[in-house]
Amino acid sequence: MIQFADVSRSYDGKVAVDGLTLEVQGGELFALLGPNGAGKTTSLKLLVGLLRPDCGELHVCGHDVVGQPRDAARHIGYVPDQPFLYDKLTGREFLEFSAEMRGLDRAMTRRQIDRESARFRLAPFLDDLTETYSHGMKQRVVFASALLHDPDVLVLDEPTVGLDPRSVRLVKDLLREFARGGRTVFMSTHTLSVAEEISDRIGIFHRGRLHFLGTVDELRGIRCSHNASLEALFLELTEEEEADGSASGCPGAVSGTAGEPRTDVTELGLPPFAPLPVEEEDGPR
Amino acid sequence: MNSDTDSGATAAARLSWPAMPGMWAAEPDDFLPPEREARAFWWLRCRIAATLMRQTFRNARFRFALVLALSAMLWGALFWMALDGFQFVRQGIGHAATHDLTIRAVFGTFFGALMVMLVFSSGIILYGSLFQSREAAYLLAQPVRTQRVFLHKFQEAVLLSSWGFLLLVSPMLLAYGIVAEAPWYYYLLLLPFMVAFIYIPAALGALVCLAIVYWIPGARLKVLSLGVVLLLAAAIWTAWSVIAGPESDMLTPDWFREMLGRLSFTEGRLLPSWWLSSGLLEATQGDWSQSVLFLALMISNALMGRQLAIAAAGALYRPAYSALCGQHRQRWRWPGRRGGPWFDRLLLALLAPMPAPMRLLALKDLRIFRRDPVQWSQFLIFFGLLLLYFVNIRRLSYDVYYVGWVNMVSFLNLAVVGLLMSTFTTRFIYPMISLEGRRFWVLGLMPISRDTVLWSKFFFAVGGATLPCCGLVLLSDVMLRVAPMVILSHQLTCVILCVGLAGTAVGLGARLPNLREESPSRIAAGFGGTLNLVLSALYIVAVVLLTAVPMHFYQATRSTSTMDALRGSIPLDTWLFWWLGAGTLASIVLGILATAIPLAIGIRAFRRLEF
Repeated sequence: MIQFADVSRSYDGKVAVDGLTLEVQGGELFALLGPNGAGKTTSLKLLVGLLRPDCGELHVCGHDVVGQPRDAARHIGYVPDQPFLYDKLTGREFLEFSAEMRGLDRAMTRRQIDRESARFRLAPFLDDLTETYSHGMKQRVVFASALLHDPDVLVLDEPTVGLDPRSVRLVKDLLREFARGGRTVFMSTHTLSVAEEISDRIGIFHRGRLHFLGTVDELRGIRCSHNASLEALFLELTEEEEADGSASGCPGAVSGTAGEPRTDVTELGLPPFAPLPVEEEDGPR
Repeated sequence: MNSDTDSGATAAARLSWPAMPGMWAAEPDDFLPPEREARAFWWLRCRIAATLMRQTFRNARFRFALVLALSAMLWGALFWMALDGFQFVRQGIGHAATHDLTIRAVFGTFFGALMVMLVFSSGIILYGSLFQSREAAYLLAQPVRTQRVFLHKFQEAVLLSSWGFLLLVSPMLLAYGIVAEAPWYYYLLLLPFMVAFIYIPAALGALVCLAIVYWIPGARLKVLSLGVVLLLAAAIWTAWSVIAGPESDMLTPDWFREMLGRLSFTEGRLLPSWWLSSGLLEATQGDWSQSVLFLALMISNALMGRQLAIAAAGALYRPAYSALCGQHRQRWRWPGRRGGPWFDRLLLALLAPMPAPMRLLALKDLRIFRRDPVQWSQFLIFFGLLLLYFVNIRRLSYDVYYVGWVNMVSFLNLAVVGLLMSTFTTRFIYPMISLEGRRFWVLGLMPISRDTVLWSKFFFAVGGATLPCCGLVLLSDVMLRVAPMVILSHQLTCVILCVGLAGTAVGLGARLPNLREESPSRIAAGFGGTLNLVLSALYIVAVVLLTAVPMHFYQATRSTSTMDALRGSIPLDTWLFWWLGAGTLASIVLGILATAIPLAIGIRAFRRLEF
C-alpha cells in the first residue's frame, strides 16, 4: 500500500528525512514516533504529495506520489495536525464540498455524511459555521471528511491531539477497525500510549532517520526490557542516540547518526532546581 | 547517498523548464470531469460570499454603510476632479491634435502606472494565497487538478487586486466620456475594456510569482525587494524628469511640449495601457470598429495570459510549493551589542524616567512591530511618498503662483499627515489590546498592574506617532518657507493630534476588544476599528480647523495689501490674535479630552476585562 524507497528530503541544506526506506502493507496500522523535529511531519507531507522528495521514490497503492499526485490522492484520507476548515461554511457544507471533489454523487454524499456524522457525533453542530467550532469539533469534522470516500490509506498527523477522552477512544477503535478491514493506517504521534495500544508496527524516527522498525514486543526484546513501557523504551533509545550518536548495534536499529553530547544544566550557569521550603500550614489555602 | 551530486542534480533539474501539461489533458474516466470540478469551486465561492454578505448585513451594517458611503464619496470626488480636469484641458488646449496628444499622454501614464501596480499586487496576493495559506495545503492534498487550484486562487487575486483599479478608473473614464461627448457605445465598451485590461497584468503577476518561487525560492524576498526598489526608483526618476527644469518655464507652452515628449515612453505600441487608451479614444471619436479591434486585441491577450499562467501553474505550482516549504525563514539580525540593536537601546533611554515594567512592555511592542514587515511596510511607502512630495514641494512653486495659499497648503499637509497617522493608530495601535488578550496569561501572571499595560501602550503609540509626524510637518513647513510662528503652531498641533489619536486608539482598543480574532487587520476592520477611524478623522478635522483658520487669516493680514484697508477701519490684528489664541487653547482642550476620556473608559473596562 505504502512504499518509501530511499526517500530523502532536506530543508535549506538541513536533512529532514534521510534515505527512508519503508513498506507498509494493507491491514496494517503503522505509527511513526520520534521527538520534535525528527522528520515525522515531513514524511507525512511527502506521503500525501504536499512535499516532493529530493531523491527516492514514493508510492501509494501503486501510484507514484510525485508523478501521479491525483491518482495517489484518491486513495488517501489525510488528517493534518492543524485541521483546516473554511470558516464561512458549515460543517455539512464542508463535507459536501469534500465529497464533490472526490466525485461522490448526491445520494452517496448524503449517505456518507450521515454515516460519519453518526460516527463522530457531529449532528449537534454540523449545520453551524465552522468558525464557531472548538479544536476538537474541527478535528472530528476533518476526520469525517478524510473518511467520506472510504480511502485505502489513512494518513494522520497527531490524530488524538485536542480530542476529548471519548473521542480519543472512538478514534482508536476506528483506526483498529479500519486496519482490520484490510486498509492501511499511517500515523505520526507523540502519544506513545496510543501507539503502544493500537499499532501493529512502530517506527522510531530521529534526526531524519529510522532508528527502529518493528513491533513494540520486538523493541522490548532488543532492549532486553520485557516489562518496560513504550515510553521508557522510546526515551532510552532516543537519549542513547543523543549521548553517543549510535543505535548501540541493536539488531532492530536501522542506522545511526552522530549525536551531540548532552548538556549538564549546571554548565549553563542555571541554578539547580531545589525543593521549595515547606511552610507550616496554619489553615486551608 | 551522495548529497553533493544529488543536490547538484536537483539544482540542474530546477534550472530547466519543466514539462507543461495541458490544462485538461486526457485522464482516466473516473476522475472528476473539469466542468464538475469548476462547478464545485464556484459553489464554494458562492457559499462563502453568501455567508459573508449575510453576516455583514446582520452584524456590521454600520461598517458596511460607512464603507459604501466613503467609497461613494471617493468615487464622486474623483469624478468631479476628473470632470473639472478634462474640461480645463478641453478649454485650455484648443488645437485638436495637441488635445488628443495630451489626453493620450495622461491616459498612457495613468494606465501604465496602474498596470505596474496591478502586476505587483496580483503577484503578491497570489503568493500569499498559493504558497502561504492553509487552504492551499488542504486543496493540494485533494485529488483535484493543480491547475484548478491555481485558477481558483487566480480569480480571487484578480478580484482582490482590481477593485481599487475600478474605483479609480471608472469615474475618470466616465468623466472623459461626458466631456468628449462620446457616443453611447463608449459607455458600453468601458466595462469589457477595463476587465480585459485587468486580466493582462494579473496574468503577468501570476507568471512572475510562480517563476520566482520555482526557480529562486530562497531569494524571493530579495528579488521582490529589489523589484520594489527599482520600481520606486523608476517612479521617482520619471516624476523628477517631468517636473525638473527651470521654475520660470513651468506651465508655458515650451514646458508643456517638453513634458509631452518626456511622457512619450508611455505610448509604446506593445503596451496594453496604450491599447486601452487608444481603444477608448477611438470610441470617443466615433470610430467604433477601431475601438472594437483594440478591445479584441486586449481580450485575446488577456485570454492568452490566463492560459499561459494556467499551463505554467500545471508545471510549476506543486514543485514550487514543495521547494518553498524547504526554505527556513532566516531573520535578519541587526548588528548590536548585548541588549539589542541601537534603536531598542534608544527607546529604553528615551523611556528612562518611566518605571521598568512600562519600558520593557514598550520595548516588547516595538520588537513585535518591527519584526513584522507586513505591518509597517505599507506605511513606510505612504510616508516615503509624503516625504518625496514635501522634499519636492518647491518644484510646485506654490510660493510663486499661489502666495496667499502657502499657509493653507501647509495646513492641508498637516491634515494629510494627521489622517495618515489616524489610519496607522487604527491599524496598529487599536488592535494591540485585542491581540494581547490571546496571550494575556503571559502578562496576567506577572507582578504588574493592568493599568501599566495600558499606559505602556499609550506611551509607545505617542512616541511612535509624534516623531515621524513632527518631522514630516517640519519638513513641509521649511520647504514652503512659512513663518516661524506657523511652524511653531504646526508643531504644537502635531503633538496635540498624536497624543489624542494615541489616547483614542488605546482607550477604544481596551473598551471594545475582539479577543477571538488573531489578525490585526480584521480587528481593525471591525466595528471598534471603524469607530476609531471615524472619531480620529473628526478629531483631526476639528483640531486643524481650530488652528488653521485663524492662523490663515492672521498671516493674511500680515502679507497682503488687500487687508490694509480693513486693518485701518477695525482692530483686525488684535481680534485675530485673540481668535488664534482661543483656537489654539480650544485645540489643546480638545486634545486633552480626546486623550483622557477614551483612556479613562479604556482603563476602567480593561480592569474588569476577563480573558
